[in-house]
Amino acid sequence: MLQARKNRLWKFFIILFLSAGGISLILFSLNSKLDLFYTPSEMLEADIKPGYRIKLGGMVKTGSIIRNGTTIKFIATDFVKEVPVIFDGVPPDLFKEDSGVVVLGYFLDGMFEAEEIFAKHDENYMPPALSIEGAKI
Amino acid sequence: MIGEISHFLSLSAVVIFCLILIFNFFFIFDKTHSNQLSLSLRMFNQACWLVFISFGMYVYLSINDDFSIAYIASHSNSQLPIFYKISSIWSAHEGSMFLWIVFLTVWSILFINSLHRNHPLKRITLLMLSLIILGFLLFLLLTSNPFERILPFGAIEGADINPVLQDPALAIHPPMLYLGYVGFVISFSFITAYLFHGNFELEWEKDIKNWSLVAWIFLTIGITLGSWWAYYELGWGGYWFWDPVENVALMPWLAATAFMHSLYASSKSNVLKTWTMFLGILIFALSLFGAFIVRSGIIDSVHSFANDPQRGLYLLIFSGLITLLALGIFAYRVPSLNVSRFVISGSKESYLSMNNILMITSIFSIFLGVTYPLIIEAVNGEKVSIGPPYYNTIFAPLILIASIFIMASLDSIWQRSKPFKSIVSSIIVPMILSLIFTYVVWHVTAVFSILSYIGIFSGSLILFSYLYRILSNFFYKKFINIGSAVAHIGFGLLFIAISFNSILSYEKNLNLAPGETILIDESIEEFSFDDIKVLKASNHDVISVEVSLLQDGNNIFLNPQKRKYATRGQITTESSIHASILKDTYLTIGDQLENGSWTFALKINYFIKWIWFSASLMVMGMLITIFKKKAI
Repeated sequence: MLQARKNRLWKFFIILFLSAGGISLILFSLNSKLDLFYTPSEMLEADIKPGYRIKLGGMVKTGSIIRNGTTIKFIATDFVKEVPVIFDGVPPDLFKEDSGVVVLGYFLDGMFEAEEIFAKHDENYMPPALSIEGAKI
Repeated sequence: MIGEISHFLSLSAVVIFCLILIFNFFFIFDKTHSNQLSLSLRMFNQACWLVFISFGMYVYLSINDDFSIAYIASHSNSQLPIFYKISSIWSAHEGSMFLWIVFLTVWSILFINSLHRNHPLKRITLLMLSLIILGFLLFLLLTSNPFERILPFGAIEGADINPVLQDPALAIHPPMLYLGYVGFVISFSFITAYLFHGNFELEWEKDIKNWSLVAWIFLTIGITLGSWWAYYELGWGGYWFWDPVENVALMPWLAATAFMHSLYASSKSNVLKTWTMFLGILIFALSLFGAFIVRSGIIDSVHSFANDPQRGLYLLIFSGLITLLALGIFAYRVPSLNVSRFVISGSKESYLSMNNILMITSIFSIFLGVTYPLIIEAVNGEKVSIGPPYYNTIFAPLILIASIFIMASLDSIWQRSKPFKSIVSSIIVPMILSLIFTYVVWHVTAVFSILSYIGIFSGSLILFSYLYRILSNFFYKKFINIGSAVAHIGFGLLFIAISFNSILSYEKNLNLAPGETILIDESIEEFSFDDIKVLKASNHDVISVEVSLLQDGNNIFLNPQKRKYATRGQITTESSIHASILKDTYLTIGDQLENGSWTFALKINYFIKWIWFSASLMVMGMLITIFKKKAI
């Protein structure tokens, strides 16, 4: 085989190897770093492993907010099922009763421990999954 | 009446752009003499002016509170200061699209008239620009008409601009960002015209270089302002969220950065020409993709804009066609481009091309991150979101590799391979310094996070290589490319600042009654809730809290607020920030509890100012490059 051809073959394999490595790295990272989005009913039906971080979107149930120091407890509902949520910290301004909320955290023993409550720029915001389901109801 | 005139002028512009397209279509293969080119040019200028005047009238309407126009009525208010009456125009979808088009025409008219009178690429560039402007004008008028009236009677008072948008940084942020986004329409159209024309003797790099550099500056400033605004105004203390809308701004930025580097390489060594052209097309294609993502509402984002499938469909088809057209011409011509394809390994351009590949990789990763939720939902109906951890793990190794190539490229030369031995000294010194620096940081902070340490090491590698280079060149009285040095030092500092910020910053949630004083940690010995007042401002009520801190032996007063806006009933949090060189003390009020005490979120953000400082260094470096003619 010609030397030039051999070199080209080598280059080809190196590039193939590097890009395969890169793509598998990206895909691996994607799969371990994504957060699944659930509504309360979906979450209760799904078998969620403890320690698996998920996003929960729903409405804050009327009169369910209880504050104790910096800890906030409330109930997220999709008008079918309810999930109690606990959060430590200052929630965003748009967090209030009867409005949409998205929380990121872990579901453990019937209680959702939120790491983060998401703020939205728009006060009329509703989680998209919920607005579709709301339209169904 | 003025509203109708303004509307009519925009419509006339549409007609003229259509005429230009039809008229010039017959001459596109005419390469020798310029049939009626001056007529087309005059028509183009007139159409652009029609758009400007139309927008000018729209601004006039907004200043004079014409609430019979639906868009102004729902986004402005008679109580607003004039500055915000104007900026309210780009506070939502329709008006910001209008602004986007105005900037598109500004760049186009300036560029077209800057070209030589009989420039052989002028006609096709003109056609390309007209086509793009026409597409967006039709989008504006057909799907998101800002001129729509409320009939028969207009609103008496406007609904007011969203209060978080009533802010100087946010009034300037969209114009800057859009100027950056659409500025690359020039490289896009000109390169397409060059490829279409098929005379490869022509020069194209020179004509678009400075235009692209200026657009890059606007894009950088736009992104930085947005990040700064989010930090102090939104009250959650972060500066970058890897939100889809941020990502679609970052993609053109990365492509533009890669483009400038490869343009530089191709002007020095006659390689990478094809690649540069591809990038020149890609930037604007990514801008179009960004417009589609933001305007269609297809991806759930905090920047909830318009959620209208019809708009999304139009933009998808239009930007897809434009991109396919350009890439089609590119693919058709590439085989006949007679360029040197061989990059000598170990030469400066080889390192530049390696980093170009890395930038493309990062664009691809972001693109995947943005579209992956859509793909997953289409495949198995699951809703997922991709957050910061994904992007951080992808970016850290890329930046590490990039920093090594940047370091190696510094001492290499164009078109010739330099033996590895001769560049060893300039690699060893920064390498050792960075290792020591990283070790010292680890020793002092005693926090470990692999990603942050990769960031610190890569950042200091870039920083030290440039400082070493500057010192040694200064000593031997050799030429230093100051623009590039400043920009890259900014780039290195950026990663150091981001990593420091991520390992050192912390937050505390507090619960205090008025008059109470508590100890927080060894740095903040006293935190006193001094006073709380309820005030009235022109269009909002204010709950104003006075807090004093004894931080590192200094007395600091903070005054965070909560505001309730009368017209929308919206509540906003005004953070109070005390900035020192190393850290920001960032305080926001939460809510009042039943026992009368209040919650606070106290955040200590390290090196956050340095992030924006690094971005401004990059902009400064670019300005130096533009004004120092010798540099490129």
